[in-house]
Amino acid sequence: MRSHKVIEIRNLTSSTYVIRMEKNDFTFKTGQYITLGFSGSIDRREYSIYSSENDNFLEVLIKEVENGLVSKKLKRCKPGDYLDVDGPFGHFSLEESEIGRKKFLFIATGTGISPIHSFVETHPEMDYQVLHGVRIEEEAYEKDSYPNGKYILCTSREKSGDYHGRVTDYLMKNPIPSDTVCYLCGNCHMIYEAYDILEKQGISLGPIHTEVYF
Amino acid sequence: MKKVAFKTLGCRLNQYETDALASQFQDKGYELVQFDESADVYVINSCTVTHQSDHKSRNFINQANRRNKDSVLVVTGCMANNAKEELENRKEINYVVENDQKTSVFSLVEAHFDGEIIHPSKLNADLFSYGATDKGFHTRSMIKIQDGCDNFCTFCIIPSVRGRAASRPIQDILTNIREVISHGAKEIVITGVNIGRYEYEGYQFDDVVEQILNLEGDFRLRISSIEPDGFGEKFLGLLNHPKMTPHLHLCLQSGSEPVLLQMRRMYTAKRFKEIVQTVRAKNPDFNITTDIIIGFPNESEEDFSATCDAIKELNFGHVHTFKYSIRKGTRAERMPNQVDERIKTERSEILRNLSDEIKVNYRKSFIGKTQSVLVEKIDGNIANGYGEHYIPVQFTGENIEKNQFYKVKITDIEDGSDPVLKGEIL
Ligand SMILES: Cc1cc2nc3c(=O)[nH]c(=O)nc-3n(C[C@H](O)[C@H](O)[C@H](O)COP(=O)(O)OP(=O)(O)OC[C@H]3O[C@@H](n4cnc5c(N)ncnc54)[C@H](O)[C@@H]3O)c2cc1C
Ligand code: SF4
Repeated sequence: MRSHKVIEIRNLTSSTYVIRMEKNDFTFKTGQYITLGFSGSIDRREYSIYSSENDNFLEVLIKEVENGLVSKKLKRCKPGDYLDVDGPFGHFSLEESEIGRKKFLFIATGTGISPIHSFVETHPEMDYQVLHGVRIEEEAYEKDSYPNGKYILCTSREKSGDYHGRVTDYLMKNPIPSDTVCYLCGNCHMIYEAYDILEKQGISLGPIHTEVYF
Repeated sequence: MKKVAFKTLGCRLNQYETDALASQFQDKGYELVQFDESADVYVINSCTVTHQSDHKSRNFINQANRRNKDSVLVVTGCMANNAKEELENRKEINYVVENDQKTSVFSLVEAHFDGEIIHPSKLNADLFSYGATDKGFHTRSMIKIQDGCDNFCTFCIIPSVRGRAASRPIQDILTNIREVISHGAKEIVITGVNIGRYEYEGYQFDDVVEQILNLEGDFRLRISSIEPDGFGEKFLGLLNHPKMTPHLHLCLQSGSEPVLLQMRRMYTAKRFKEIVQTVRAKNPDFNITTDIIIGFPNESEEDFSATCDAIKELNFGHVHTFKYSIRKGTRAERMPNQVDERIKTERSEILRNLSDEIKVNYRKSFIGKTQSVLVEKIDGNIANGYGEHYIPVQFTGENIEKNQFYKVKITDIEDGSDPVLKGEIL
């Protein structure tokens, strides 16, 4: 376990924030997660790494969960505080050999966009499309990070997004070519349903990768 | 001569580690006695994977203390990691040794008898420096190739108590195996926490298996418990090697896709079925055994019946069922919709009956076939051992020797829920 100094907190909405920490000698593969908690605290949670492999800082994107313990506590951290970081963990990673050759579809709900952000910041040359499912438009976290046309926002509670409805509705209306490599991240229900839809559209099981948050 | 007794709970890795420690004590002149006898040293290699294992571990600690109050009582294993403070506060326990210092249990005890009290935290941490297990309790020689796990399935405490995944250098593994084969080991079992994720200087799990299979000698290889997500097609290809036993303990945990996702298992039920089909396409009676967790949070009737269907469809040789129990600090502890204990019990009962039935049917299918039985126990002219499919076989004959292979034609099967096959020497 390492201790990392907090550099800044960036509030994206009233409940969602990015913590930027010093990277020190930490290395990871884009898509991986860390476990994070205040120095010395036994309460720790998993967070995907939001920043790129190449950034000289480490970032996580966190949404404060109602009645949540750690996501609430971390929101109160200040520059100069120390956080304990363990990891990196996880196998939600890009296949090196596919990066320049394949077309990617990244499907995320809510803060599930975090590892996807890291993917595209690390490999901006990739041929990809992001499908982001949220309730309302303000949850399109830092959508300017994605070049024009690469990011599709699906809003389920208002009509402000590129598509009004859930990502699974979008997928049913807009079938995906079967040679696409898909990555799914976020809540379990979306992943389960999207998985089923993609499979029916002929996407072979192998190249589908999932990261379940809750 | 001082006497030492061991009690092992939990997984095969613990079993291996006890064997290795027992060999070390015996090499140094200790007599190995049963746990229910009076001994100078009791070592409890504990487990904490369910509430039940905690309970059993505590029971054995009490028993050891009752048997000889002046004995040296060492508690090691996963409970020593998970409930260290509680155990250290119990006066009857002399030493609480965490997993990564388990290799040093003998030096700790030896120092104790020399009047030197070492705190276990001062011991060297080394996951793999166990000696050979040739004096242990089993005919099968277990070889540890890996420790720890980084998968963090949401129900599992093991990553917290066994630590990060670590792989033993491939050359050490091969040297260790050559050594046990030269001492007469006939069956090698490779073991670890998550062996499919073996990775050492570019060598993956299938490379290790391939290199072991290519070693000289009259032995067979068994893979112990393995997760369905780590290995690739190359490994499946190796399953037909003449030295490989046709048996895998492949952990399914649930037949329901939503439950597998919530468990953060890294495969789908569909992928699991494909693996089984690939294996059985080449070898239809290949023995696949598995673990199932019953009553994971949110497990609906529909999820449970998907599990029952998978069990019926996949024709497992044995299904080990566990009732889900909350482990502190895991993600599943914080999940809503925990399943009522009564429902878990009902579902366990259904699954147990189902798996007993499937097990008996599977075993019956061996009647008329031949098994190569490695004899483990002889009683008069009755020999017991396991065939290559890891099914218990009993046969009779004159001058049968322990730790030798015998070709046995299966002629009959015992009654009961865990029936032994009966046969005749060919
Ligand atoms: C591999 C992995 C990566 C993750 N990455 C991120 C990330 O990048 N950003 C992020 O914000 N979260 C992420 N999470 C979720 C995160 O680990 C915590 O679960 C979350 O911050 C809630 O923690 P808490 O202590 O505040 O709530 P807790 O006190 O642990 O839980 C309170 C309740 O909220 C539920 N819950 C948990 N997570 C969520 C959620 N995201 N939305 C709604 N309800 C939830 C729990 O089931 C529980 O019932 C990730 C989880 C995993 C497994
Ligand atoms: S793979 Fe999952 S169940 Fe197996 S040890 Fe690792 S965390 Fe536990």
